[in-house]
Amino acid sequence: MKKITVFIICLCCSLMGTAQTAKFTISGYVKDAKTGEEIIGANVSIKELAATGVNTNAYGFYSITIPAGKYTVQAQYIGYSIHLDTIDLKQNTKIDFLLTEKINQLNEIVVTSERKDENVTSIQMGVNKLDIQQIKNIPVLFGEKDILKTLSLLPGVKSAGEGSSGFYVRGGSADQNLILLDEATVYNASHLLGFFSVFNSDAIKDVTLFKGSQPAEYGGRLSSVLDIKMKDGNDKHYIVSGGVGIISSRLNLEGPIVKNKGSFIISARRTYADLFLKLSRDSATRQARLYFYDVNAKANYKLNDKNRLYLSGYFGKDVLGFGSTFGINWGNATGTLRLNHLFNEKLFSNTSLLFTNYDYKINANFGGNPLDIISRIQDYGINEDFQYFVNTKNKIKFGLTSTFHKIIPGAITSSSNSPISKLHLDNKYAWESAIYASHEIKVTELFNIEYGVRLSSFSLIGPGSFHTYDTEGNILDTSTYSSGQFVKTYYNLQPRLSANYILNERNSIKVSYGRNTQNLHLISNSTSGNPTDLWIPSSNNVKPEICDQVSLGYFKNIKDNMYEFSTEVYYKTMQNQVDYKDGAQLNLNANIESQLLYGIGRAYGIEVYFKKKYGRLNGWIGYTLARTEKQINGINNTNWYPAKQDRTHDVSIVIIYDLSKKWTVSATWVYYTGNAVTFPSGKYMVAGQVVNYYTERNGYRMPAYHRLDLGATWQGKKTDKYETSWNFSVYNAYGRENAYSITFKQDPNDPTKTQAVQTTLFRWVPSLTFNFKF
Amino acid sequence: MKQLFGLNKFILILISVVSFSSCQKVVNIDLNSSAPQIVIEGEVSDQPGPYTVVLTKTVNYDQSNTFPPVQGASVTINDDAGNSELLIEASPGVYKTINLQGVVGRTYTLNVVADNKDYQAVSKLNSPVNIDTLDAENASGFGGGGGGGGNSGPKSKVVIAKFTDPIGIVNYYRFMESINGITTTSINITSDNLRDGTLIEQRLRTNSDVKILPFDSVSIQLRSIDFGVFEYFRTFNRTGGGAFNSSTPANPSSNISNGALGYFSAYSVKSKSIVIQ
Repeated sequence: MKKITVFIICLCCSLMGTAQTAKFTISGYVKDAKTGEEIIGANVSIKELAATGVNTNAYGFYSITIPAGKYTVQAQYIGYSIHLDTIDLKQNTKIDFLLTEKINQLNEIVVTSERKDENVTSIQMGVNKLDIQQIKNIPVLFGEKDILKTLSLLPGVKSAGEGSSGFYVRGGSADQNLILLDEATVYNASHLLGFFSVFNSDAIKDVTLFKGSQPAEYGGRLSSVLDIKMKDGNDKHYIVSGGVGIISSRLNLEGPIVKNKGSFIISARRTYADLFLKLSRDSATRQARLYFYDVNAKANYKLNDKNRLYLSGYFGKDVLGFGSTFGINWGNATGTLRLNHLFNEKLFSNTSLLFTNYDYKINANFGGNPLDIISRIQDYGINEDFQYFVNTKNKIKFGLTSTFHKIIPGAITSSSNSPISKLHLDNKYAWESAIYASHEIKVTELFNIEYGVRLSSFSLIGPGSFHTYDTEGNILDTSTYSSGQFVKTYYNLQPRLSANYILNERNSIKVSYGRNTQNLHLISNSTSGNPTDLWIPSSNNVKPEICDQVSLGYFKNIKDNMYEFSTEVYYKTMQNQVDYKDGAQLNLNANIESQLLYGIGRAYGIEVYFKKKYGRLNGWIGYTLARTEKQINGINNTNWYPAKQDRTHDVSIVIIYDLSKKWTVSATWVYYTGNAVTFPSGKYMVAGQVVNYYTERNGYRMPAYHRLDLGATWQGKKTDKYETSWNFSVYNAYGRENAYSITFKQDPNDPTKTQAVQTTLFRWVPSLTFNFKF
Repeated sequence: MKQLFGLNKFILILISVVSFSSCQKVVNIDLNSSAPQIVIEGEVSDQPGPYTVVLTKTVNYDQSNTFPPVQGASVTINDDAGNSELLIEASPGVYKTINLQGVVGRTYTLNVVADNKDYQAVSKLNSPVNIDTLDAENASGFGGGGGGGGNSGPKSKVVIAKFTDPIGIVNYYRFMESINGITTTSINITSDNLRDGTLIEQRLRTNSDVKILPFDSVSIQLRSIDFGVFEYFRTFNRTGGGAFNSSTPANPSSNISNGALGYFSAYSVKSKSIVIQ
């Protein structure tokens, strides 16, 4: 740790040493002129100086240090008019830019990226940013626009399938994605067992997915980081907006707390699918409860020019139930308190206090003995991040993060006269910390490097008894620790590197390497993810998962940046992967670690992305050719075998067409190879039943999946005060019978035979949503 | 405990409601063929013999449900009191004891030699536990026995077995249900985990094609089994390759060595009967 600090100090000194001539700093914020929302990733540059462009950070702040002189400063962003400002730079100067959104986008070339040539010039690779405006036009199931489902239309990102909002990034499993909402971890991103994601796109400002080497400020998961930032709210006017759909409705309220100084936003959703249950003829179904709701809220206040305070939170709950016999509810809650502090024009800092809670509660009443089961994971954390804008060639980021995890794996409570005894599995406590530093440097105008390092520590903390197990899962040894005692600590050094070599204006080559570690592991014995899946910490038995990824990419812009093309190849190796034994008992098992198996994994592939960015017709084509394999001790005779998420081909096509000023139509088509799956290779008779005989895990494939969705949006009269639109969509327009599951059972017509039965979930699901804003 | 996490039925309801367009159809799946594997099913109890060990083989999935017997094998059972008996092949693949009598408290070892391979299994014959009472109630659509809920025909019933678990020892149970003399194939098991020494009420699940109606005579066997056999049937229920959210399908974890399928169970029995009102 000391070494790194010394390194940073030396680095800073050497960088400052270069600043000998009279240089001054231009800094400030870029905001939306209408709403006052800070714009993330807007580009600010000096027209007279080549390669001075910088992007605003997550809070809309930028800083450029250049020699004294007369300059034209310009700021630009997606779908906004370019804003220019001339300046005679003699001292440090603060300039805030207010950008105006282009209202009429039709027949007009619009900048739809941070910078027209961002694709080629940015240092990052394996990064996807979602344009929230564009999501609106993409057809989705039940008309409920969904950022996770839209993300899965990008190359390298794969949907975990229908009935799941999980996603797989470059061969990683669903739990290897770090999902952050205003920096707080979201442990379960699914509503209604996965038919919806927990993110209400009305409340979301910015979505960035890192699937390659992640910047050093991120860590804790192997595959990817999905960084979601909530809107800050309009600080000029009060706005009410919302939508009414077939199975859910949304309402969004935002406005100033003090004009131009602070604002708030509250967004809420509720589904009412359970109303349909009441219409059922089956008395059992009528008793069912089934709904979710969620609320996003955020407020911010500018204390003074140097300090700004943000408070944001999310709360969501799913409720499933059946009369008085059975009920389960689960949900996430997150809270973030942040202080932006500007030490000076060059040094920006953010301090965040974070809270996350995910829990589920089951209540059951069989035979008059009510009992409750609860399970919970809670995080209390602090992040301290610094960004030092040294000069136009150098930018340094450093900081630390520290989180305390509390896990309640499972506790049963019952009434005192119940024959079922109480059970409380030992709570698990862990402390996870990291320090990081990274340096982005423009070595030449054509060669950029960002390198960094993250040192993480993870400690499992007492109290409790901790067992060690042999390979059979028998207890070898038990040690007891008192409260606060360290049971096991792991340190991991994670280097990160990205480099970009610009061949010419339109072509560049990028390369990256990164190591990631993961110390919380999701133990799931279901195929699609249950709310009852359990997070377990690294321990004396479970080691940190480690992943090394190298990737190489070629980026090209064509026809004045109208078209964007990129291709990336990646290769990943993964260590200490966790799997479980056949028939493992995972719920309410005090010895859950005895049910686990360990091994390694590898994933490699090539992604191709072709996008038309402007014009009446826009959209993209993505293709991924990939392989993901595992080698787990004790599975398939410890041979390599395809992971469940291994998909050879994955194609997505998205087309959006502006038919007229009123109408926008869109279509998406997806195709992918079926998941690897375990089917029987024989059968036998035991206990009077015909039983499937399995010879290997994941030895078969589900049938290939493909689907076409169509959508249309009709924009009603749009004024400054009032705006309405109707959205129509058809999910699975040609009614493809995609396999959700395939089961093998006795042929009802011929008991001497068995047959395969395929279940399909959705064919032709139409939907209609009315949206309003005033 | 299992049914608490048996979200499957609920998910089925959810899916059928949410996706008004879901459907099922029979599809052709090209499954691999597999080398025939031996299946051993053997039992010893505290009841009078003869006890039976059945040896069969697996067949490919597309074949009919006739399972070839394994003939000419050497099958022996011995106990920890020094008794040993070579079973005779009474009919093809069916091996029976002549003199052996199961005794509570003894541990039994099964040895099978077939096609030049050795298979071995050990099972302990635990003490019997009495059934106190049997009750029947209407099957609810959810959370209890199968077969109920629907709107067609008279309401099906589920049988509830009540018994007092002996305190201070770990017990594992398997229930056998016969309706009008015909033994059903449903697997009902439980243990005294979290309720040692209490009165246990076990609702006996039946397969959806079995209906228990008024005037049916139902008899229940309560078998005390050992941990290895309990694990076999627990994983049998879990890993059968169910439709939704089930774990990755796999063969049940057998208590027989050398990769054989099936199980060897020593058990004690207590029975009770009820006529459904």
